Amino acid sequence: MTTKPFYFNVVKCLILLLLVSRSLTSYGQTELEKDLENTAPAHEKVSATFKSTKLINGHTNETIYKHELDFKVDHRFGDIAGSNGGLRQFFGLDNSTDVRIGFDYGISDRLNVGFARAKGATTVQQLYEFNVKYRLLEQTTDDYVPVAVTLFGSNTIAAVKASDDPASATAYRNLTDRMNYVTQIIFARKFNSSFSVSLTPGYVHRNFTAFRDQNNMFSVGAGARAKITKRMALVVDYFMPFRNKDDEAYLEQLNGVKFYNTLGVGLEMETGGHIFHLNFTNATAIQEMQFIPQTTSSWLKGQYRWGFSIARRFSFDKKKDKRS
Amino acid sequence: MKRMILLFGLCLSFMAAGAQNIFVSKATSITFFSSTPVEDIEGKSTTASSVVDIKSRNIVFKVSNTSFQFKKKLMQEHFNENYIESDKYPFSIFRGKITDDVDLSKDGSYTVNVEGTLDIHGVTKAYQSKANIVVAKGVITARTTIRVKIEDHQIKVPSIVFKNIAEFVDVRISATYQPKKS
Repeated sequence: MTTKPFYFNVVKCLILLLLVSRSLTSYGQTELEKDLENTAPAHEKVSATFKSTKLINGHTNETIYKHELDFKVDHRFGDIAGSNGGLRQFFGLDNSTDVRIGFDYGISDRLNVGFARAKGATTVQQLYEFNVKYRLLEQTTDDYVPVAVTLFGSNTIAAVKASDDPASATAYRNLTDRMNYVTQIIFARKFNSSFSVSLTPGYVHRNFTAFRDQNNMFSVGAGARAKITKRMALVVDYFMPFRNKDDEAYLEQLNGVKFYNTLGVGLEMETGGHIFHLNFTNATAIQEMQFIPQTTSSWLKGQYRWGFSIARRFSFDKKKDKRS
Repeated sequence: MKRMILLFGLCLSFMAAGAQNIFVSKATSITFFSSTPVEDIEGKSTTASSVVDIKSRNIVFKVSNTSFQFKKKLMQEHFNENYIESDKYPFSIFRGKITDDVDLSKDGSYTVNVEGTLDIHGVTKAYQSKANIVVAKGVITARTTIRVKIEDHQIKVPSIVFKNIAEFVDVRISATYQPKKS
């Protein structure tokens, strides 16, 4: 009976001695690092899912920051190949199907408002666009929020002279007829530092359209961005509207055209404040309310075109200018 | 059994004494400046953390690269994405030692030399710097500035913005240490 407690005592003494010796030795570097506070913030937000507020035709989940102004020029040329392209038209550079000049302003880091003027690619021309973009959810690095969600809404007013033909798309009777609305929900996820995707269900409402063209149309878009170098990326996006088959067949037969989904592929270059896009797309129009329901040009017929966009961001945030 | 309790108590007191060597600074401020005739760039983090062992005089600083705040948010995005590459290298760490024989358990003001290695952007480089330390009522405040050549850490600046970003960046560190609570 007496040997057992003695044995335990020896073990206990040894453990205690170990503890004592540990407390006496000063901390090494690796021990010290264990005492560092966890400096990484919890649920850190993923930044720069995309580099620009737009991919090629569609919007990304990105907004510009508070007190920033984004000035953007978009351009779409004529068909590169096909019956309207080739060397005679200098591969489309002689023509310009659409031009858009836009300004976006950051009211907050989440809320942007924008104004743009676009030529318009169909008979619906001289477009004035007002838009609002709101970043509802941001993805976090720990996947607490796995996807980013941004809302986009726009109102585009066509200023073109009203047509006398009541069946045409521009037989406007009043200002309300000239209004077109686009609503989109943009879901986006950055999978790693060089690959991001987006999915964009949307709804286009046009107050006035050509006879038997749809006033309301649901659509879905998808996009992706893959970085090839630190400042260059490949971008791609695709939009598919859901049409009424009867109306589609009627319009296609009447106008001798077919409707196509839009595909854009491009190269994105970023140079600290500027973003350049060089792209190819079959969409002739730049505005959502036009390229989603009205694209009648096809990649397979050579009806794709050069497009570019140049964006420059200016910051007007002077509040934090003071050095502390 | 009495002896055991005595020994245990002794041990505890030693441990407590051991813990008193460790001082932690929670809200350490790290600011860097890049100044060129074209543009001044400043990034500031107030959530860095540091630990010093006043016995061994070992010192460690660690900062999350995404915690640096800039005057312009777009600069912050570029800093994380293009220069420091926070996805690959989320933290910058300094591991060093106060080489002068100072007793930081005593109140006073000291100027000491610190030597160590700085790990930024996955590149570790040896640095040496002078630091000002003030000890008052068990609180240690420390300040230092180190000059970092960004090229040394393989942070590449494209030629288009070469004039906007300085070759050398001054990094100011300011920490307030409290005894570690064990």
